[in-house]
Amino acid sequence: MTSINIRAVAKTYGNFPVLKGLDLDIADGEFVSFLGPSGCGKSTLLFCIAGLEDITSGSILMDGRDISELDPRDRNIALVFQDYALYPHMKVKDNMAFALRQQKVAEATIQQQVAWASELLGLEQFLERMPAELSGGQRQRVAVGRAIVRNPAALLMDEPLSNLDAALRVRMRTEIKRLQRELKITVIFVTHDQEEAMVLSDRIAVMHGGVLQQFDEPMTVYRQPANRFVASFIGSPQMNFLPGSMVGGHGGGRLVGIRPHDLSPADGAGGESVRLEGELALIEPAGPVTFLDVLIGDTIVKATTTDPSAFRPGQRLTLEAPARMICLFDEATGARV
Amino acid sequence: MSLSLASSDTAKPGRRRRIGRTPAFAYAAVAPTLLIVCAVVGIPLAYSVYLSLNSTNPITKKWIFVGLNNYVTVLTSPDLWWAIARTAYFAGFAVVGTTILGTILALVLNQRFPGRGLLRSVVLVPWAMAPVSVGVLWSFVFAGNYGTLNALLTDLGLASWATPWLGNGFRALNLVALTHVWNQAPLTALMVLAGLQSMPGNLHKAAMLDGAGPVARFFKITLPWLKPNLLFISIIATINALMAFDILWIMTRGGPGSATTVFAWLGYVYSFQFFKFGEGAAMLYVLTILSFLLAIFYFVVLGPRRVRAAEDRPLPSSSLEGTLKRRAMAIIPPLPRRWHLPRHVARPLGKTLFFLLAVVIFIWSALPVLSLVLMSISPAGDLIRTPPSIVPSTLTFDNFRAVLMPQVGTGGSSVQAQRVPYSLLNSFLVGAAVSLICVVLGTFAGYAFARYEKLRFFKYSLWALLLTRMTPALTLVLPFFIMFRTVNLIDTRTALIISYCSFLLPLSAWMMKSYIEGVPKSLDRAALIDGCSRFKMMWTILIPVVRPGIIAALIFCFLASWNEFLMALILTSTPNSQTIPVVLSGFLSQAQFYEYGPMFAASVLSILPPVLIAFVFQRYLVQGALSGAVKG
Ligand SMILES: Nc1ncnc2c1ncn2[C@@H]1O[C@H](COP(=O)(O)OP(=O)(O)O)[C@@H](O)[C@H]1O
Ligand SMILES: [Mg+2]
Repeated sequence: MTSINIRAVAKTYGNFPVLKGLDLDIADGEFVSFLGPSGCGKSTLLFCIAGLEDITSGSILMDGRDISELDPRDRNIALVFQDYALYPHMKVKDNMAFALRQQKVAEATIQQQVAWASELLGLEQFLERMPAELSGGQRQRVAVGRAIVRNPAALLMDEPLSNLDAALRVRMRTEIKRLQRELKITVIFVTHDQEEAMVLSDRIAVMHGGVLQQFDEPMTVYRQPANRFVASFIGSPQMNFLPGSMVGGHGGGRLVGIRPHDLSPADGAGGESVRLEGELALIEPAGPVTFLDVLIGDTIVKATTTDPSAFRPGQRLTLEAPARMICLFDEATGARV
Repeated sequence: MSLSLASSDTAKPGRRRRIGRTPAFAYAAVAPTLLIVCAVVGIPLAYSVYLSLNSTNPITKKWIFVGLNNYVTVLTSPDLWWAIARTAYFAGFAVVGTTILGTILALVLNQRFPGRGLLRSVVLVPWAMAPVSVGVLWSFVFAGNYGTLNALLTDLGLASWATPWLGNGFRALNLVALTHVWNQAPLTALMVLAGLQSMPGNLHKAAMLDGAGPVARFFKITLPWLKPNLLFISIIATINALMAFDILWIMTRGGPGSATTVFAWLGYVYSFQFFKFGEGAAMLYVLTILSFLLAIFYFVVLGPRRVRAAEDRPLPSSSLEGTLKRRAMAIIPPLPRRWHLPRHVARPLGKTLFFLLAVVIFIWSALPVLSLVLMSISPAGDLIRTPPSIVPSTLTFDNFRAVLMPQVGTGGSSVQAQRVPYSLLNSFLVGAAVSLICVVLGTFAGYAFARYEKLRFFKYSLWALLLTRMTPALTLVLPFFIMFRTVNLIDTRTALIISYCSFLLPLSAWMMKSYIEGVPKSLDRAALIDGCSRFKMMWTILIPVVRPGIIAALIFCFLASWNEFLMALILTSTPNSQTIPVVLSGFLSQAQFYEYGPMFAASVLSILPPVLIAFVFQRYLVQGALSGAVKG
């Protein structure tokens, strides 16, 4: 239905550049996440796409048509806000019907559409309530319902799950994914939670300081991060970075990145691998895996094991990682080589 | 384990009882405020009930108990019903006017634009200045032969339109009401602004995306959000209109004929011109009851509405998780094409219109005040020129010299002008003292009210304090007059300070309660755990944290005291204690044209402190309005 092309979009507040010339091509029906630390300009970019903020330069195309000059209401884009922004004085059903009423759609159509959306999201029993009478999770759903009810060309979400507790967050993200599959709608999902982005997205746009760092499928971003920032931002716990001189074979000016999940105590199995020796400093059990903090030289390196019973803090230890799993970065520029 | 727990319980029986007990500190904190309010509001009110049940013989000065006779006389007099009708008209005009104008002002002042801070200060000026000065200013704008408005019309070549504006009865009532609106609209604007600022910013963004234009957003989003504020604001505006007295005293004194004789004026005339204390008290009691009814209406209609708490039940499963057959989606027609100006035209056009609106607001607020300043530096002779003109023949500081250095200008300055410097000092001393007392006591009371609102004692005494907001000063001033005369305090600054506590103490307690509510309770608890006594906790932790609120409360109290006219008029009679509004009103009684120059100079001096406050402390005033129960 809707493709979105962002062409060299820049945005400044006064003299402060928030977006520094971004290019993004989002395909029809794609689920794209904007991922980055807080303050990197994700919400600003989202608001620019929705038309709530003017862009300073560049252009935004929808289905090939330039929409940069259109009012928000002529773009047919829906947005789920971080704080939901439900109209506090309207019942749930009126919140959901508001956009259609503004378009002067026939009342019968509105009722049918509200019934459809509320059934889809399991909101039927809340239709007569005021937003203040709902719990956080219910409000979040109403916000999604209000967004999809008018059948928008694209659905934008600004950290919609960040105000929910952990269990509900996991459940709602599955629901959002299902909804997107069901409606085959183009979704842009803003988050600072890399796990959320990985699970949900067809592609992730990683942003930092108003600059697009990488735009690729989740596993590509994970395995082949474009630079050191992406590598450290994606994946938990963070990737280990070691000077190239410390890891055999790589000269100076290089940084070697190894994910903790790829690094484990050597078991002598074959295959081409990278080996590191150090002293075990700390054991952190985390359920399915146990993290080992190993002191190598004067840096702490995190590794994982599934069987921690054999290890004691203070003992010497050899770690190894499959050679194909390590990333090499230029120490000066941070770019992957 | 359980045994040792039980024994430790019995070992320290005192400890258990402490838990959940209201500390004596809370009662000690409200006690001074409640006692003083009882003394300065409760006793006078009771006394005026007594007065209203008696009749005095003006010749023998004997009091006779007459039961409800005064009420019967008053309620059967047609004067009263005419006054009620005029009051209703005046109040209706004032409430509609201040609400609409105040909302427009607030909407403009809520936008971001260069010079917003300046415009906010300028808009506040008509409200910050004393109603007496407002009256002086506008009565000369509307004055018959030489008034500013007529002079302006003459200058513009429209001399035939010139007319004695306040000469026609109905027009006079409207113009006085308009003046009242000019004076009161900024207060409404402050309170609406507070409501607008508490509005989540994303609400408008969501509505924009939902396709609502600016007009639809105002009516469907902003106005419903403001509804509780607006209802409260109109109650305050109604009460302020019912009690409007000062500008009437200056501008029309109930005339021409009885065209502007509203309820408050009638009560004043009965009590202090006819000296029918009993009937006057009865009449003012009717006004008090009316105000109380409004107050009760406020509590019933607007009292905190209970919202069912959002339960934390698990979410029902959405049908996305099942595989059942689902309802079909409706076919929504494509977005209608709207006609609109292209953005590069609409933007500058919108900006220009907004700029024009801001200029109109600036002129509305500042121009009358500037014309007062102009009159104060024009020679007095200019005021009676024929034909009249607003262009001064020359500029002079003679008027200021006359009021500020009365000894120097030989023979030039009159008795009245000589009173100005000392009255400024009186106003300042009374204002400083009463603000200090009220804010100190109000802060402690506010703490107890904020932290123990759930307890019945605090809840009801807070309500009682709020009700005093609805008591017209006119009702209190008659008992004050008689009581202060009895204890020989009449015509002293002390009498003014005591009587001003009647409305400033509830105000400051209420404001401080609102501020302290905004401070998390955990802060108190942290300080108590760190070993502070409650008093020390307030002194070292809470008071520094709520300092902006304290400053705002001080400003509001000082302004209200500086501008107060009615009580000062009745309770003072000599320059020893007269405040500047009283001296200003005295100029008018003398009615010599050469006195008007010094009078304008004195008016300018009287509005100087409020204007300075509006400019320097504008941000505190906007914050202070959040607490709502603001003195008009
Ligand atoms: N209205 C504004 N005026 C000035 N700076 C702003 C404004 N809105 C956002 N910013 C700045 O722009 C940057 C990006 O903000 P935002 O897009 O909200 O970040 P996030 O990625 O957390 O959503 C931040 O540094 C923020 O301070
Ligand atoms: Mg954000």
